[in-house]
Amino acid sequence: MSDQALSPAPRSAETSHPPLPETHFIRPPKKRGRRLFNSLQPWLFISPFIIIFCLFTLFPLTFSVYLSFQEWNPVTGLSGMNYVGVQNYVEAYDDPWLWKSLYNTFWLAIVSGVPQHLIAVPVAYLLVYAVRSSLRHVLTATMFIPFITSTVAVALIFYSIYSANTGILNQMLLGASKLPLIGALFAWVPDVMPIKWLTKSDLIKPAIAAVVIWKYTGFNIVIYSAGFVTVPQDVYDAAKVDGCNRLQQFWHVALPMIRPFIFFAMTLTIIGNLQLFEEPFILTSGDTGGVGQAGLTTSYYLYLVGWEWLEMGAAAAISWILFLIIAIATSIHFYFNGRKGMEGNR
Amino acid sequence: MSSLDLLGISKSFGATEVLKNIDIHVSEGEFIALVGPSGCGKSTLLRLISGLDEPTSGDVVLGQHVVNDLTPRERNVAMVFQSYALYPHMNVAENIGFNLRISGVPKAEINQRVADTAAILDLTELLTRKPSQLSGGQRQRVAMGRALVRNPSLFLFDEPLSNLDAKLRVQMREEIKRLHAKVRTTSIYVTHDQIEAMTLADRIVILNEGIIQQVGTPKELYTKPANPFVAGFIGSPSMNLLEGKLTQSGDTIQIELDGGVTLPCPQTAPQSASGRVIIGMRPEHLHLGEAAAGAINITGRLDHVEPTGAQNHLKVKFGKNTITATDNTLQDLASNAEVTLSLPTDKLHIFAN
Repeated sequence: MSDQALSPAPRSAETSHPPLPETHFIRPPKKRGRRLFNSLQPWLFISPFIIIFCLFTLFPLTFSVYLSFQEWNPVTGLSGMNYVGVQNYVEAYDDPWLWKSLYNTFWLAIVSGVPQHLIAVPVAYLLVYAVRSSLRHVLTATMFIPFITSTVAVALIFYSIYSANTGILNQMLLGASKLPLIGALFAWVPDVMPIKWLTKSDLIKPAIAAVVIWKYTGFNIVIYSAGFVTVPQDVYDAAKVDGCNRLQQFWHVALPMIRPFIFFAMTLTIIGNLQLFEEPFILTSGDTGGVGQAGLTTSYYLYLVGWEWLEMGAAAAISWILFLIIAIATSIHFYFNGRKGMEGNR
Repeated sequence: MSSLDLLGISKSFGATEVLKNIDIHVSEGEFIALVGPSGCGKSTLLRLISGLDEPTSGDVVLGQHVVNDLTPRERNVAMVFQSYALYPHMNVAENIGFNLRISGVPKAEINQRVADTAAILDLTELLTRKPSQLSGGQRQRVAMGRALVRNPSLFLFDEPLSNLDAKLRVQMREEIKRLHAKVRTTSIYVTHDQIEAMTLADRIVILNEGIIQQVGTPKELYTKPANPFVAGFIGSPSMNLLEGKLTQSGDTIQIELDGGVTLPCPQTAPQSASGRVIIGMRPEHLHLGEAAAGAINITGRLDHVEPTGAQNHLKVKFGKNTITATDNTLQDLASNAEVTLSLPTDKLHIFAN
């Protein structure tokens, strides 16, 4: 192509604008101080956040990275820090308790995480489509109560429920074994009494999982209810005309349409469950994770290493390992579910 | 394809009676439009026919069968919704074939029928797209395809064009008309747009406050409206409706309009019309110009002109009344000028008030 072809066409007299009339607008003189104030104004508004973020998030974060390469007992003061390189990470890799805590964490994450959603999704669907709105609000609020109740209070109540000799759970199982119709199903109960829910290594994890399910299912019900409410009635009507029964409407229409909500709730569950601390800590009496460390989660172990054994460097290293694991688990979730989950119905 | 009979259908929501004793017969292959203002019960009636709602009393008869207790699926009706109600997570092909999938039709047959339907509606290139990637007109066609693929016994349209712009609406209207001429499935079409109803339907049912006002062909409704509501509803611009009373002066009967103007009453005035009346004059029947012999002549002052391009709408004041007349000659008229409008006597509508 020639240069001429590339150059813009000359403006014809018809296309060029007539000269604008002279105007005499009055402009106030620019003040330098005001300009400086204007440019600083946005920073002044967001400075409270920046200061708090730097003080309580950025500094601890970077300090914990630094700390993970040190050997440090906080009792000795800052001067007691010794640089040890990657020794804390190497020791963590060789630490059987850490591996055990990771196993427990993943076990609890799956066993307490999956049922939350399997229960919450259909319950939310029924609440939205089968219950009058006034009653639905009451029921949803009731189901949400465990989530806003202090974990310490919840764990203490369950501690008494699980009590081997006086706990209501064992009493109920015994009672059930004496019932005429379903008694046969519980015939094994008297032989194994008293069931030591919190002091038998193979029962600790299920006991903790039950508390986690009870506490967080209500939260997921609220999320899924919000999701189901967003599905337009017209789409259900179209599904009915297309021949769907109630179950098919749920499976083919409602469930795919709340995909973004499922993705969000699952992300929260993965992150939350991999950081499980309070429930196992209180149910195992803040000991070393219960009998045979069966209830020892990684966050719990992190606490023991840092605050019981005062090995802050090792604790920092473990915290970064846990962070990495959570990041990987979340990335896998995003990889497999992210596209459809975040795409939503756009 | 089957006929439809609505026998004494009533529907109440709590104390509010939305439909009152509706009786309609729709023949096989007929295209019926349900027209009326917002809230008149036309969409409710469509939902009762589809099976999405149950009537409080009365029967819905499809073919020879009372279908009150049947689900929408069992009635084999297809419905096109105002919002299209496409499944956002499915692509066009899945949306169209969903009903067949639910009904357990083999996959090969679904693919074939979806392809055939897509070809009819010019959707073949769009089959893999999601609804969010389609324009309003394309979504509307997908909604039509979803209904069409099933070979239903009855088509139900719930204001399917109301979300489209004016140009697309005209285009889709033609497409619906063409489709109906091709498949000849009995169709019920709900709209509040009388132009849509007039252009598409074999017969129109006009509803107001849950009561049928008139059933007839578009021409019947236009030429012989049963009451002032129908007269005002059909036709654009709306018919001029003026209140007055019939008075006798010697042998001649006159119409004395509220405001003091008197018009001659034509011989065609119905026997039943006496005392207080409402007279109707269609704007397109009011001719601008000199007073014509044997016609009703009205002289007034031009209030303002509304140009529409093809014609001007003249707002003319006479007495205390303002009427609209259409001027196809597009004359330049000054505001407040004196104008004379003439109306053939056989075009004057008189309703008992």
